[in-house]
Amino acid sequence: MKQIIGEPGIDLSSDSKMDLKLTRNSESFHKPNSSNHNLNSFNQASQYFPNLSPTNFLSRAENLQQNLKTKSTNSFEPNLNSGMATQNPPLDWDPHAMLSNLSFLEQKIHEVQSLVQSIIDQQAEFSSRPSELATRQQLATADLTCIIIQLISTAGSLLPSIKNTLLSNNPALRQLVNPDFNNNLKCEGLIRNFPETARNSEYEDLLRNLDNEADWMKEPNPLPQSDIVDANPIDEHDLKESDDGDAEREHLPPGSYIVLQLEKEEILAPHTHFCVICGKGFKRDANLRMHMRGHGDEYKTPAALAKPSKEPGSDVHPVTRYSCPFVGCKRNKEHKKFQPLKTILCVKNHYKRSHCDKSYTCSRCHAKKFSVIADLKTHEKHCGRDKWQCSCGTTFSRKDKLFGHVALFQGHTPALPMDEVKASGSGQGNDDMTEDLGGYNGNFASEECLTSMDVKGIDESRAYFSPMNFDGFGALDEFGRGGFDLEDNPFAFIPSGFGQRSGDS
Amino acid sequence: MCDITAVLTVDLLAQVLDWLHDSRDLKSCRLVSRAFLQAERMHRRAIRALRLGPLPVLLRRYVGSLQSLDLSSCPSLDDSALSLSIPCPNNLRSVSLSRATGVTWRGLEVLASVCPRIEAIDISHCVGFGDREAAAVAKACWLKELRIDKCLNVTDVGLAKVAVGCSRLEKLGIKWCFEISDIGIDLLVKKCLELRELDISYLKVGNESLRSIASLSKLEDLALVGCEYIDDEGLYFLSNGNCSLQSIDISRCENVTSVGLTTLAEGQQRLRKINAGNCSPVLTSTFVSKLCTLGDTLIILKLDKLQLLASALEIVGKNCRNLLEIGLSKCNCVNDEGISWLVEGCTHLSTIDLTCCLLVTDKSLLSIATCCRGVKCLRLESCVLISEKGLDQIASCCTDLKEIDLTDCNVNDNALKCLSRCSELLVLKVGLCSGVSDIGLSFIGTNCSKLLELDLYRCTAITDDGLAAISNGCKRLKKLNLCYCNQISDTGLAHLQLEELSDLELRGMVRITSSGITAMAMGCRSLTQLDLKRCYSIDDAGMWALAQYTENLRQLTISYCTVTGLGLCHILGSLRCLQDVKMVHLSWVSIEGFELALRASCGKLKKVKLLGKLQDVLSSELLQTLQSRGCRIRWVNKPLVFKG
Repeated sequence: MKQIIGEPGIDLSSDSKMDLKLTRNSESFHKPNSSNHNLNSFNQASQYFPNLSPTNFLSRAENLQQNLKTKSTNSFEPNLNSGMATQNPPLDWDPHAMLSNLSFLEQKIHEVQSLVQSIIDQQAEFSSRPSELATRQQLATADLTCIIIQLISTAGSLLPSIKNTLLSNNPALRQLVNPDFNNNLKCEGLIRNFPETARNSEYEDLLRNLDNEADWMKEPNPLPQSDIVDANPIDEHDLKESDDGDAEREHLPPGSYIVLQLEKEEILAPHTHFCVICGKGFKRDANLRMHMRGHGDEYKTPAALAKPSKEPGSDVHPVTRYSCPFVGCKRNKEHKKFQPLKTILCVKNHYKRSHCDKSYTCSRCHAKKFSVIADLKTHEKHCGRDKWQCSCGTTFSRKDKLFGHVALFQGHTPALPMDEVKASGSGQGNDDMTEDLGGYNGNFASEECLTSMDVKGIDESRAYFSPMNFDGFGALDEFGRGGFDLEDNPFAFIPSGFGQRSGDS
Repeated sequence: MCDITAVLTVDLLAQVLDWLHDSRDLKSCRLVSRAFLQAERMHRRAIRALRLGPLPVLLRRYVGSLQSLDLSSCPSLDDSALSLSIPCPNNLRSVSLSRATGVTWRGLEVLASVCPRIEAIDISHCVGFGDREAAAVAKACWLKELRIDKCLNVTDVGLAKVAVGCSRLEKLGIKWCFEISDIGIDLLVKKCLELRELDISYLKVGNESLRSIASLSKLEDLALVGCEYIDDEGLYFLSNGNCSLQSIDISRCENVTSVGLTTLAEGQQRLRKINAGNCSPVLTSTFVSKLCTLGDTLIILKLDKLQLLASALEIVGKNCRNLLEIGLSKCNCVNDEGISWLVEGCTHLSTIDLTCCLLVTDKSLLSIATCCRGVKCLRLESCVLISEKGLDQIASCCTDLKEIDLTDCNVNDNALKCLSRCSELLVLKVGLCSGVSDIGLSFIGTNCSKLLELDLYRCTAITDDGLAAISNGCKRLKKLNLCYCNQISDTGLAHLQLEELSDLELRGMVRITSSGITAMAMGCRSLTQLDLKRCYSIDDAGMWALAQYTENLRQLTISYCTVTGLGLCHILGSLRCLQDVKMVHLSWVSIEGFELALRASCGKLKKVKLLGKLQDVLSSELLQTLQSRGCRIRWVNKPLVFKG
């Protein structure tokens, strides 16, 4: 257990790739559940079943306690300092109170430890006196409950403060939600983050741990997720999966947010940050700032390299959402049932997927086309592995997907593996297949199929998993299998680009 | 001479024929006159073919009325034979191709296309069958009943084919189709909403399958024997599902405990048959008390190998008053007290299984005799404490007794004398009872003329005279086990003149020779199964006799006999029904002899047991041909040991 909680920290510090780190953090905030999976994959059972064994309980509590101790001494204070140096940190918790809380916890845990130890030591004796054992166990349980309550209250007082520190360290969020959105301001905060990443990752580990604990205790997550989503610098590729559809979940009342609409050229521009001297374009402001260093010493000062800080007065932001410039699209603000897009990235991906040519063709099957290169890469990962085929010709990479498809449509059956058909050497099987195809063509275009399509569901679940970014993270891969793959959804037989975006056009 | 059909019209004759069930009687009836033959022809609904040859003629003769065709014991049945023998316009509703390993998916496709109204297909035990075959069967869209037990290569895909193709399925058996998983079962349940009976025994499916199955509103009969991944949670789904089960078999589900059984009994209040044998051994009183809520509906309860206290049996006895059958085999705790409590309440019991209930004594038999006078079947194997006193009570009170198993009970001639009073006795098993001798058998022979099955395994005291008494008295015997009764000689065997005997085991009878076999074969023409293992003195002459007289012989064991290649070739070549031969340690047969014999039989054999060493020396082409014709070869590696 200890190892597992420690794992992400090790990963992050050992990995020098900035992108990976940030994305990973954003990933974990994006979906605390998935990070739960990731971190506690071995402990899932105990997570979901409330009747934990006391020892397990204890180890968790201990672990957390240790985490709290170490992190609070090593990483909190420097961060506080740095926070004070740059901005006025919202220090809304009392370190003395915290310390006394923690020492209380420590004391309590030692007590339980010795109690449990005594139970173990006297196990042989207890077998003859079961009632005594029960009393001891009750005592231990009561103590543990006390610890948990204390932990939660401590953690609860902790979380908002971390959130605030985080926000102050990552002004990108403020930039992004700023109504007067400016390309050049977009990711200014990034550079300043570089030297601090190690520390940051530690907070985030801690935060994640706390999140996990909170989740595990069925506590409502004190962090509103939507804030955190935006709190990280966004890269087009890293987060290509955060697609349209997020806003649907929100159910923001119309008028409660500002709608921005970018022009087509702006959306499709490959670079959003340009060097004022040589004109070179960059996707990220941070990269631009690194580039600027080459143009002279004045660009090497910490101030120039620092992430552009947020405006002191811009603390109160109106919620901002985006509109697609394509008139008639559901994501266009003129549309009757307008569904806004949540971020710039959503706009970009939505526009490319829905209103642009699919110019990237899969090099393996030469059939599937994509307009977002990340989609192509996702597809290429799985292309050619589809061995489960339906009588209608659709292929699936997983048996359960095929069976889900077969269950949904009358008369469709799984096709027998091709080699077997060939071996039996009869045209009859093939005839059947074409016959089947002919028989069900009518279904494809039927209104029901299309309306029943859960476009949002597909996109969302995909959004949670980008195989590009998490190569080598077995646990995440594992999780990703839970979601739909683009080519694995039960509606995959509908020609791509027809059904999938039907909601938009 | 007056024409009998003037008095007895065809429809009246048909009504008479309704009451004739024995094939022999029907045969006699056919032979009366042309009119009788005609009536029988119109009346007949089912045919079970033993040989392929006469089949096309037979089917053409009966094509109008025939509904059910059983080809399961037909040797050398392949696709072309199948498609040739089934006439095109027909009314066939049910076809059994069980163990028809020579048939492939092509044959099945033809079957499905030429029998448009077919409702039941049985392709169980065709171990080579897979998805392709299942897909062929799925073309019979009116199918209501399908058995694909032990079609080892059927996967979820095959099951899905069946589920989509045959959505009207009411009964489905997929026992031992190990490749089928939860996904397949889930699809099946979604597509076949009419399912009433489902057998998923020994499948490696988990609780998810039961969650799916629980939604089948018409399901009545569910068999889950040996599903090791199913536990109490699955039974919880079942008890809360839409189905209203009448019968459930959860025996050998190791992970099912008393808790699961309790929830099941709570949720399924219409259960009539429960088989919970060999589950987790501890049975709590809550389950037993829940059983009582089922009370009057429950008729069959099997609790084999569970720890059952007398108090539990008392509750069962008090509440389940309509119980017809109870199985308590290997319940170590069952004692006389428990049995007496049970039978006092359940007076309608007709089948009582007390196999290996070691504490049961004559007292139990006494209480059974006094309370359950209608008992028909009593299984007392290894109940070593019972004696002739108890059996005397049983025999005098339970006059309707049809079946009794006293294997290894140390009973003697006196017990048989008592039992011989049960003139209705059909099945008698006294194996391993060394106290049984000719005297006891003479009582049985004189009084139990209806006996169908007699087991005298290792009753070493029996001699030729005892066998003579049985052969003379019990003319209807179908099954006789004389293994290791090594005092019996050719003389005794010559007495065996039992026309209906189909199953004879003579293993380890060292005194008998070919002349005895010849005499026996001449008398017992209907033999289908014969075991001659370790009858060391039997040689080619015996084989010749068998080949000549017992033409229906289907299963033959001749391991350790002194037959030569010639005899083997002859018997394998001439017996047209032979399908299963065990011929290990035939030291007198050369490799060429085996090769020739197997070639001679090729196409008919479905199962062969051979010495492992032959695997390398027999020509691979022969082995391939055998296997492609659907023959399974079992190679055994046993040292050659002669035992007396």
